[in-house]
Amino acid sequence: MRLEVKDIYKSFGEKEVLHGVSFQVESGKALGLLGRNGAGKTTTIRILMDVFHANSGEILLDGRRFRPRKHQIGYLPEERGLYPKRTVIDQMVFLATLRGMKPGEARESAKKWLARLEVAEYETKKLETLSKGNQQKVQLAATLVNNPDIVILDEPFSGLDPVNSQILKDVVNELIGEKRLVIFSSHQMSYVEEFCDNIAIINQGQVVLDGELKEIKREYGRNRLMLAAENRTMEELARKIETEWQGLARVCGRKKEFLILEPAEGADKRTLLEQLARSDVDVEKFGRYEPSLNDIFVARVGEEA
Amino acid sequence: MRKFAIVLKYELKEYFGNKIFMGLTILLALLGVGVLFLPRFVDMSGFTGVKIVGGEDSEETETPEGGRPLFLYADQAGVVQEEVLAQLFPNVEWRQAEPEAVRASVEAQEAEAGFVVTGKTEYKYYVFNKSMTDHNTALFQEAMRMFYRMDYCGQKGWDLEEVAGMYNVSVTVEEEVLNKDSGSNYWYCYALVIIVFMLIVYYGQMIAVSVTNEKSNRAIEVLVTSTSSNSLLFGKVIAGAVAGVFQMGVLLGALLIAYQANREQWGGMLDMVLHIPGEVVAAFAFFGLGGYLFYGFLYGAMGALVSKTEDISKSSSGLMVVVMVVYFFSLIQLTDVDGVATKILSFLPVSSYSTMFARIAMGTVAVWEIVLSFLILAASIVGVGMLGAKLYRMGTLRYGNPIKLSRALKDLKKSE
Repeated sequence: MRLEVKDIYKSFGEKEVLHGVSFQVESGKALGLLGRNGAGKTTTIRILMDVFHANSGEILLDGRRFRPRKHQIGYLPEERGLYPKRTVIDQMVFLATLRGMKPGEARESAKKWLARLEVAEYETKKLETLSKGNQQKVQLAATLVNNPDIVILDEPFSGLDPVNSQILKDVVNELIGEKRLVIFSSHQMSYVEEFCDNIAIINQGQVVLDGELKEIKREYGRNRLMLAAENRTMEELARKIETEWQGLARVCGRKKEFLILEPAEGADKRTLLEQLARSDVDVEKFGRYEPSLNDIFVARVGEEA
Repeated sequence: MRKFAIVLKYELKEYFGNKIFMGLTILLALLGVGVLFLPRFVDMSGFTGVKIVGGEDSEETETPEGGRPLFLYADQAGVVQEEVLAQLFPNVEWRQAEPEAVRASVEAQEAEAGFVVTGKTEYKYYVFNKSMTDHNTALFQEAMRMFYRMDYCGQKGWDLEEVAGMYNVSVTVEEEVLNKDSGSNYWYCYALVIIVFMLIVYYGQMIAVSVTNEKSNRAIEVLVTSTSSNSLLFGKVIAGAVAGVFQMGVLLGALLIAYQANREQWGGMLDMVLHIPGEVVAAFAFFGLGGYLFYGFLYGAMGALVSKTEDISKSSSGLMVVVMVVYFFSLIQLTDVDGVATKILSFLPVSSYSTMFARIAMGTVAVWEIVLSFLILAASIVGVGMLGAKLYRMGTLRYGNPIKLSRALKDLKKSE
């Protein structure tokens, strides 16, 4: 399956909030939809789910118009919500049957997912009696109860402790492994880096960067290098490079644990390594610099996310 | 249709799985049945006029022995006849006293009441604390009239019984009501109009709360991506209707059956509210249910315009005014069901549920009028249902301040 979002425009009243959003994702791969608060991620997802209608643009699945209700979709909205006063199993069966499952099948699937997410013991409890983390897991179980081919997760990790996050990570990895199409929206870049082969960064209603994450990282890293020394502080090391090695490299960025260097014209990794070997610098870390997704995001969107 | 059935089943489970709802329904039905069976086990002849204990009917109430209240009288005009007083005040012990003693005894609370007859048509009444139900002056006035008549007849040499017989000649009447008897239909009509009103207000609010809860607990976003808003709103409203009809059906059914079984013991005294003809019950079922559904959809839409249950009163206040106005007008117009105003209102969907029903029960109405009114009501229910579903869908993800109905309708028009 290949899902394509093409040139989506959306206005609320006089205000246009999406200005031609486009991206694509395939089965067995996960797309990370990134953006600051209010960038348009949730609106895009809601349009995808037919909660809102786009003013223009189209969404295609394998080249045909995408109609969400005709497919098995697991949708975890950003605004979590189930019925607090109903039992866990009742509402899961209700949602599964609404999405086309037979009651018996729905009950079986609900039990399976509750067990997988380690909340089976709460199946007959009212949702409101569960902890926030367990409610979150029930919500995810309800998202997956109909064994969807397309899974859309809007901020799935918010509110989860590290143990529950790990369970969720395993489940998401399984979904990707089972060749499902996964769209994943989050502020937590580390999770996106972990799962997503492709990303689309939305800023102020338009996609400012999209493509394969590896490619993007390579492109953003360019030929930059990272350097840290055992016997020099970052300040001392930076001063040494700027004063003594001007012809070899310049410091173009600093991280907590290393400097980012840009080789001068005619210099490269090898020449710099030779210079290091000749110097009194006790190298702690040296190599090709690969930016984190957070770096790319900040560089592209402008401010710290 | 399948999804509507799933929503309906889920919503019904909410009502029928609710212990308070079921418990209250059963408790109220049992209470009603218990009260209606009381005359079989308890002597209620004082209330029903039918003496069951002892097995014989009696029109009279037994006089309690001992502890009778003491009333005093002073007769300055010389007209008082004790046997007349005993007839009019059967449970009172009468004693004659001096005028001063009458007042003093009442003030000392030795006597409950005192009368001082100062002339043939004048008297004074003494009582220590006058209760809300004190009818002593009315009865004594009747006694004074009787004394006057006796005195007058005595002076003229007339036979009082002959004169009284001439004045109170008995007339027999044979009445045949050819269409409807408003007098006997009035009370159950009145009761049924109140019942529909209560159903609309109570269950309408419940529907609105249920919709708003789905917004406030954010379940709605998952729901609208799983099925259509029509299925969701229709399922919710119809489930409310089924629950309401069930509750009212159990209560009314239990009361009607229990009364039917004990009608003789009650001496038919509750016929005016519990002996309802079949066609009136049928008209009530159709028009009552229609009106209930009509308002149910509107309440559902009003619930979708707010995000917090405490804001429901803001969005539904206009609707509540309409319901109240129709309710009061219907009750007032029960005395003139064939008037022009009632006729017009019996065709409007906002009011036909009570006015057409009242016309059927108490007035003159042609079959075509009933059919036309019901068709208008049915079409309006569908229309309001569709509009309600659209408002519900539109209001779904608009959180924050309540959306005004006029604004919602404008937005709806714009989006189309």
